[in-house]
Amino acid sequence: MNSQTKSQFIAVASITSELSAVMVVAKEISLAAANAKAIAFRAGDKAKGFQPITDFINELAKETIELVTNINVYALLLYRLTVNEYRRTAAYNRFEQVAKLANGAVYADSMQEPITQARTIMQDCQRQFKRDVTQLLGQLEAVMHHARAARVIAANSRIEASQAGEYLQSLQAVAESVDKAAHTIHDNVQRCRIALSIYRNS
Amino acid sequence: MKMTKIYEGAHQWVMFGRDDNKPDNIIDSNQYIVRTANKCLLLEPGGTELFAPMMAAVLHHAPVDQITDLFASHQDPDVISSLGLWDQALSNAKLHAPALWEGYIRNFGCESIEYVPIPDNGETIKIESVELQIIPAHYLHSPCGFHVYDPQAKILMCGSVGSAFEGTGAPVFVERFDVHVEKMRYYHQRMMPSNQAKRAWIDRVRNLDIDILAPQHGRMFKGDDVKRFLDWFDSLQVGTGV
Repeated sequence: MNSQTKSQFIAVASITSELSAVMVVAKEISLAAANAKAIAFRAGDKAKGFQPITDFINELAKETIELVTNINVYALLLYRLTVNEYRRTAAYNRFEQVAKLANGAVYADSMQEPITQARTIMQDCQRQFKRDVTQLLGQLEAVMHHARAARVIAANSRIEASQAGEYLQSLQAVAESVDKAAHTIHDNVQRCRIALSIYRNS
Repeated sequence: MKMTKIYEGAHQWVMFGRDDNKPDNIIDSNQYIVRTANKCLLLEPGGTELFAPMMAAVLHHAPVDQITDLFASHQDPDVISSLGLWDQALSNAKLHAPALWEGYIRNFGCESIEYVPIPDNGETIKIESVELQIIPAHYLHSPCGFHVYDPQAKILMCGSVGSAFEGTGAPVFVERFDVHVEKMRYYHQRMMPSNQAKRAWIDRVRNLDIDILAPQHGRMFKGDDVKRFLDWFDSLQVGTGV
């Protein structure tokens, strides 16, 4: 296996690993939203501005979970494609080796068709991989967008929390946890994007 | 890759092996082809590492599109791990291999090749006008294995039975049986698990008219050495690993 194939395998495998961490964090946001809703309910008028924010947080978490679930399915397809490309490339290289070794054999020419076919399939796989990576990067961008939105919500939450009297600390803790989670999602997804970006369609 | 024609009649048998360029840490193995006018059966196609020299050697005898049939006596990687490569090279081929091992052998890659499962009691396969008997050889050494007998050529391709391991410079036929037995003894005692299975196989094989015993590793046996081998194997206690 050459170093490019190795790094391709690692890049694809790292998506699943990074995204499973994102999934955990998104679930934490969902929990934080439920917690915030309960606090806001108890705070009544003091946290009036906070109540709609909790719905936003919850919705954002749900959408992120859904997106990541879809991306994971896609990442699995990308992994299979990587395996297939590896197998096709290995076969093509062996067929080339056959052609060299068969030099002078009566039926050496009959190897040309399998070689041509293997080359075409290998190139198709490479193109398909680039197309799929480009699409996956788009989906990852959507998760990044959610992470950025979560950070804005966290900032708004802090402002609303400051007017919540004795509930200030609890609501600020919620805002902090949303902000921290958004950070983690952003960083993890960014690492996926960096790992994959070298394979995208130029 | 050394090529030795071992039968020439209306069809041919060719033995391939002793590949000088194979990696040192991979055992040497024998491959065989049965070549008819328009078809070619490849017996024990070999491991992945062997694919390129093997395919190149076959091209001296048959074009790619006439390699129509493969046979694997059992599931071991030195027998058939090259399947995934043959699968991508051959557009219209069948693999005859034990039914019991189908789910295992498919791990090597078998998408375009048709897997033709061999039932436990064996069968006959036909390559154009050549009828080959698929002889059960279970527990020798694989729990499910088969050998190929060609009554016309009087050749028995006997898989692991009769195998020995030597350098790539070794002759293809046994020259002095009494010297050769020491190269086979440990392998047979350690790899063959059952005296009962061995006896059943010997009883069956003694009824066949055999000129050449062609194992998957090491030298082939011809003439009187065929009987010598059967007698020696008969008297050998196997299953010594426990």
